[in-house]
Amino acid sequence: MSLLESLRFTRGDTFIHNMDPRVKFLLTLVSFTASIMFLELVPLVVIFLVQLPLIVAAKVLREWFKSVKGASVIAVIIFASNLLSFYYFRGGQLTWALVEYSLALTVRFIALITSFSVFFLTTSPDKLSLALEKARIPYEFNFAFITAIRFVPVLADEAQTIMDAQRSRGLELDKGNFITRVKNYIPILLPLIINSIRRSLELAEAMESRAFGATEKRTNIYELRMTGSDYAVLAIILFCFGMMVYAKLYLPPFPGLLGEKLII
Amino acid sequence: MGLIEVKDLKYTYPHSEKPVLTDVSLTVQPGEFILLTGPSGCGKTTFCRCMNGLVPKFYNGVMEGSVKVAGLDTKENPIMKLAQHVGLIFQNPDNQIFALTVEKDIAFGLENLGIQKDEIYREIEWAVETTGLQQLRKRATHELSGGQKQRLTIASVLAMRPDIIVMDEPTSFLDPVGAEHIFSVLNHLNKDLGITIILIEHRMDLAAKYVDRMIVLNEGRVVQDGEPAMVFANDQTRLLGVGIPRVFELARRLNSRGFYFSRLPVSAQQLYDELKPRLPERKSLRHKGLDDLSGFAGEYHHQPAIDVKEVYFTYPGSVEALKDVSLTIYQGDYVAIMGENGAGKTTLVKHFNGLLKPSSGEVKVNSVDVSTLSVAQLARNIGLVFQNPDDQLFEETVEKEISFALRNFGFEESVIEQRVTWALNLLDLTEYRHKSPFTLSGGERKRVALASVLAWDPDILVLDEPTIGQDYGQKERLRHFLTHLRSQGKTVVIVTHDVEFVADSQPRIVLMAGGRVVEDGASKEIMTHLKALSSCSVAPPEITRLFCMLSDHGLPRDVLDVNEAFDILIRNIGGATT
Repeated sequence: MSLLESLRFTRGDTFIHNMDPRVKFLLTLVSFTASIMFLELVPLVVIFLVQLPLIVAAKVLREWFKSVKGASVIAVIIFASNLLSFYYFRGGQLTWALVEYSLALTVRFIALITSFSVFFLTTSPDKLSLALEKARIPYEFNFAFITAIRFVPVLADEAQTIMDAQRSRGLELDKGNFITRVKNYIPILLPLIINSIRRSLELAEAMESRAFGATEKRTNIYELRMTGSDYAVLAIILFCFGMMVYAKLYLPPFPGLLGEKLII
Repeated sequence: MGLIEVKDLKYTYPHSEKPVLTDVSLTVQPGEFILLTGPSGCGKTTFCRCMNGLVPKFYNGVMEGSVKVAGLDTKENPIMKLAQHVGLIFQNPDNQIFALTVEKDIAFGLENLGIQKDEIYREIEWAVETTGLQQLRKRATHELSGGQKQRLTIASVLAMRPDIIVMDEPTSFLDPVGAEHIFSVLNHLNKDLGITIILIEHRMDLAAKYVDRMIVLNEGRVVQDGEPAMVFANDQTRLLGVGIPRVFELARRLNSRGFYFSRLPVSAQQLYDELKPRLPERKSLRHKGLDDLSGFAGEYHHQPAIDVKEVYFTYPGSVEALKDVSLTIYQGDYVAIMGENGAGKTTLVKHFNGLLKPSSGEVKVNSVDVSTLSVAQLARNIGLVFQNPDDQLFEETVEKEISFALRNFGFEESVIEQRVTWALNLLDLTEYRHKSPFTLSGGERKRVALASVLAWDPDILVLDEPTIGQDYGQKERLRHFLTHLRSQGKTVVIVTHDVEFVADSQPRIVLMAGGRVVEDGASKEIMTHLKALSSCSVAPPEITRLFCMLSDHGLPRDVLDVNEAFDILIRNIGGATT
């Protein structure tokens, strides 16, 4: 949960926040591809390090750290499972190369998390929705997306209130065996579901009352416009991507740091 | 021709046999400010839905007769077209705010209509100015307070430049000052911009002074329609259980004792203006308010029921919600916790049964530290009833709903049976025993929620906003019920915004603001402490307002209810009538 929590948009007025969401998404996509493209520790560490200044520039270091912390359990599992499985399949020899390889995969995971963090932490849902609109996603989907985000805090509050109300009536959530515990959640889930249905009806009424769907050509008061710096960033991203593809295709593979490279 | 013309309207919801509205005919002229009221379930909300065609377009069902709004027949025109003439605002602001920022939400309707961008920006500018939201324009909608959210819903329909705004109990979740703010915005829209307003409201004391016409519905029929003073004076209104403004009631009783009023007043200011010429200025009149009994309180040796000591509380990742709160509630006390939205009232009562644990400080219930007990153990002694019954009802029948807690506490089947019968009886719910709670009306659901807590007979009862959404008759029943509980020695704590309810039942008042207890004392003392009240966004009851003005003439200030006010006025200006 904390992993998702920490990916929530944090408002700010930095260069990264103001970047065109499409350019920013491309940036994420390129970091993503780069992380997948390489298997060696050195380039993966480089990809990871390149992203750090972005996080600092967007002033979301704390949030990013939270998301990495949330992902750390998975990171450990990745490291351990790779290490162990190769250890067994490769005849029970623990080599430095093996450690390096497992470490590389772990760094790759962290780099992936980081690239998505940068995007989601700094892109407001409104801008995201604009980007979706530019991608010609129908407005209904877009509206559903925004509404879902809009009601996350409302639903969280409501769930808490329901839980408090039922606990005040003597409901003990963590009592009994597994089956009873699941059953204990019925008094919480039912009001939550019924309220949501009721709410959706009220929302529909309110939408109708404000002329939802009146015209095909809906206005959007916000607009996306690429600025000079967006183009500059775009150029840099494309250049880096080109370099990476070149490195992958024409340069000899990176040597192992801690010994003979593991051949898979 | 009127702006709204309703002719022989009759409407039945689908899957229902009884019509909700019958033979409704009325005309509304442009610029009127109408208060629509009537007991719960009388068809008010349905009538509002008829104004922009939600009924019958959205709900289907059977509609007879006709409704014309701005010359458009609601049966023939789509809702989106009617929506440009009628702005409908519902009770819960959260369910009608769609966007993530204030400005974007105001734009929503106009964007839907495909209006040009720069024109939308002009309308936003105007709407935020009119509703006082300029500073909040770029703010995220979920960060707004209750009152700000409600103002946003007004701004959002206002931006569409409607001829008519229809509001269904817009202020029920708001603190008194927040509520008055909404009313003054509506008043401005009506008086200065000429927008016609139809308002549903139960709290007459607040609303009556703004409106120039009142319509009372009962069982789907218009039973009263006219000037507020005329409607309130009619016995039928009283018999229906529509609240009569306290000031009006006072004036009516004075009137029957020979005080002539040219016009029966509906606000403290109006009554004061009527009384002023008959009062000598700054002369000490022979008067004595009822003796102040609060001095005696210290002489009894009460046992504390709830003892809160220097409690601080911070929600994870959020601001401090309670700051150094100390409060002792004695056994048998009747306490009202009041204060602005977000003052920490609900946070405080959640500490009483251990739902929240103080970040520092100590809470004791019957002399036992709550941190040593579980919520379930504490709940045996403290019954906490939440604001919205829909946040707890889930069983198939009312009977099962009420026995839920009893089973959790491990009562025996035979005892459960007895207790359920007893609780059903107590709250007048016996006939619904085998019905589903979801088929009941709002007021009845609220009673079921209360019964489901009372069933285990806790010593201390805490009610969060028990009067929200309740009509006058239901509030009176609740007030009597609380008196009954107190006579049994129960400790009763209510969290409320309803100053008139407080004035009628006169509990000890704890005022809160910004997570602190600001004042704590007897009703009379607190309700006349205007400075403390306004720092907590609480406005004094109308009768007290009147007496604060009358105190310049030597009358006491601390008068809260109609009976006492009547006695004092009769004794002091009795001679001045002729």
